[in-house]
Amino acid sequence: MARVVDAAEVAPRTYPWEIAATDLRVRAGRRMAVDGVDLSLATGVHGLLGPNGAGKTTLIRALATVLRPASGELDLLGGADVREVRRRLGYLPQEFGFYRRFTVREFVEYMAWLKEMPKVDIPGAVQRAIERAGLTDRADSKLKTLSGGMVRRAGIAQAIVNDPAILLLDEPTAGLDPAQRMQFRQLLRDLTEDTCVVVSTHLVEDVAAACSDVILLDNGRVVFQGAATELAAAGTAADAGDSPMERGYSALLARKGAAG
Amino acid sequence: MRKTADEQELVRRVARGDRAAFEQLYRRTAPWLAVRLRRRCADEQIVAEVMQETYLAVWRAAGSFAGESVNGTAVGWLWTIAARRLIDAFRRRARDAAVPLAAEVVAPAAEDEVLGEVVGDDVGLALDRLAPELRQVLRAMVVDGLTVRETAVLLGVPEGTVKTRARRARLAMREALS
Amino acid sequence: MTTEWHASTALVRRYVAGDTGIAAEVEWAVEVHLESCAECRAKVVEHASVAPLLDQVWAAVEPATSAVPAGRRRRWLATWASPAMVPWLAMTVLVTLMALVADLTINNSYPSLVLLIAPIAPVAGVAAAWGRGMDPAYELVAATPRAGLYLLLRRTVAVLVVVIPLLAVTTWLSPVRWLLPCLAFTVATLALGGFVGMRRAAIGLVAGWSAIVVGPSLVAARPPAVLEPAGLGVWAAVLVLGACVVWLRGGAFNRLDLR
Repeated sequence: MARVVDAAEVAPRTYPWEIAATDLRVRAGRRMAVDGVDLSLATGVHGLLGPNGAGKTTLIRALATVLRPASGELDLLGGADVREVRRRLGYLPQEFGFYRRFTVREFVEYMAWLKEMPKVDIPGAVQRAIERAGLTDRADSKLKTLSGGMVRRAGIAQAIVNDPAILLLDEPTAGLDPAQRMQFRQLLRDLTEDTCVVVSTHLVEDVAAACSDVILLDNGRVVFQGAATELAAAGTAADAGDSPMERGYSALLARKGAAG
Repeated sequence: MRKTADEQELVRRVARGDRAAFEQLYRRTAPWLAVRLRRRCADEQIVAEVMQETYLAVWRAAGSFAGESVNGTAVGWLWTIAARRLIDAFRRRARDAAVPLAAEVVAPAAEDEVLGEVVGDDVGLALDRLAPELRQVLRAMVVDGLTVRETAVLLGVPEGTVKTRARRARLAMREALS
Repeated sequence: MTTEWHASTALVRRYVAGDTGIAAEVEWAVEVHLESCAECRAKVVEHASVAPLLDQVWAAVEPATSAVPAGRRRRWLATWASPAMVPWLAMTVLVTLMALVADLTINNSYPSLVLLIAPIAPVAGVAAAWGRGMDPAYELVAATPRAGLYLLLRRTVAVLVVVIPLLAVTTWLSPVRWLLPCLAFTVATLALGGFVGMRRAAIGLVAGWSAIVVGPSLVAARPPAVLEPAGLGVWAAVLVLGACVVWLRGGAFNRLDLR
């Protein structure tokens, strides 16, 4: 459809990183769950690994703008204002709550409305998101009739409906079977070119397959940030784990534990 | 009174499960869509794929499409669906091979002026004088309604390049028109 | 436009044939025009030689039409009152109707039960509009641009639209007695909710009102003093103060409350 292109849309990008955090500290309850984290993330799939209680969920929540940092700087999309960032953000929380009586389509449409998408675009974008998440056949079934894995895919659909510039997924593959996990990784690969994706997971193999770089978090601090192959290289045969990545993972955590 | 229903009315009927209306909608709009897609993508396979996905989407989501009062043109929204699917197809292919764009507009034939087909005046001349890559970006953004990111995928260039070319195009047009 | 421009048949033929010699601006004009002109689109149908392609695509699309597309289900209501609020609103309506029944069957000199609960009628619905325990999609909604004071007020309006007409119908006392207290409590729930969480605020307000006003009033069989017309100034002040607090604390309603 013919439209007008305004100057703001084609102005050169003023920021190098989609996500830029400096000495970020975020509180969760009483303790400082994220304790001095520096991040510079551009487009690509970034894996966020770490043991339970490392602060992954808190970090993701801070990036999703639902938690205000206690201190430090967090610039999303070059420091745009919160509402503008949220329009271009997709978020799937770990505890994905939904309205049981809604169908998949109705739920994704509702989320599209909440994300202030132009009304005209919503039906097409919703259908596209549902297809990309692999739920074409169940698009008009009520959410309460879907299995856990499909519900999570509906969650992924609502996260990508607005074609976000930043996509935050907290344990997105929980409850998915291996075939669905492969489908999900394919979806991630499709998004790599122009989206900054942060996937928080405790499954090391998900990270190995799909992520261009890995961030290892422990006790609220970044222990390692680099390519997945570097993580694998950090491990030796002596470390615990069944795969090179797992060995690298335990090696780095142990090293940090000994030093810190 | 119009004998035949317009596309909006057809979509409303499709939403109620009217397969005859769907076929009519297809017969009326598919040729136009095919021609337009072909002018953007040389790969017939992709064009077929995109059209398939578009009409499947129309059938499945007809209820939602009928519900929204689409302002502007009746089939403009059909194009937005097809355009996004085209982008998705290019994204899928981009990893394996270079994106297959359609042949570029070379030089305007002299007959156009003779036949009086030239529509605009200054705008037309300015547009013709634009370098082809700048024109490509403008067409993708203005006529096809794509965003910067989508244009980047369509043309197989980085986002920054799209923005730069769009700016240069606007500047050139403004200069030519002043 | 004084005269409508249509694409001539010759031009359509060239466009359809994939002619790259068409001047750019002519091509643009044709494409934009085709989007809105059914006549010229019909010309395209006539002259395009795409039959094999069309048949191929139709063969792939047609089988899917055996499944009926879903009709339009209006979830517009959800944009005003989230599904989590509906049970609470239903409960409010039920309790109010029960109070009405009580009023009709009990002795006239007894204070009106509906009047007594009128101020706290909207509290449950408003509390359900925003909060972790109440709304399963809470965290998802909190991360959207529409979350915040605007969404909360929109949902509050939905509650009031249900509660106020209900009260107007069920109490024969003039609205002057209960409307202002009702609104004051609504705003107070929002204001307090921003500080201690909606659920705690609601429980506190309902419990407090029941203990301090409803209980003694029933025991003494006398209408409460706070709901006399003379006290309206105080209620108005509470309303304004609460509104200011809500306005200033607007930022609390688009973040996660981890309490």
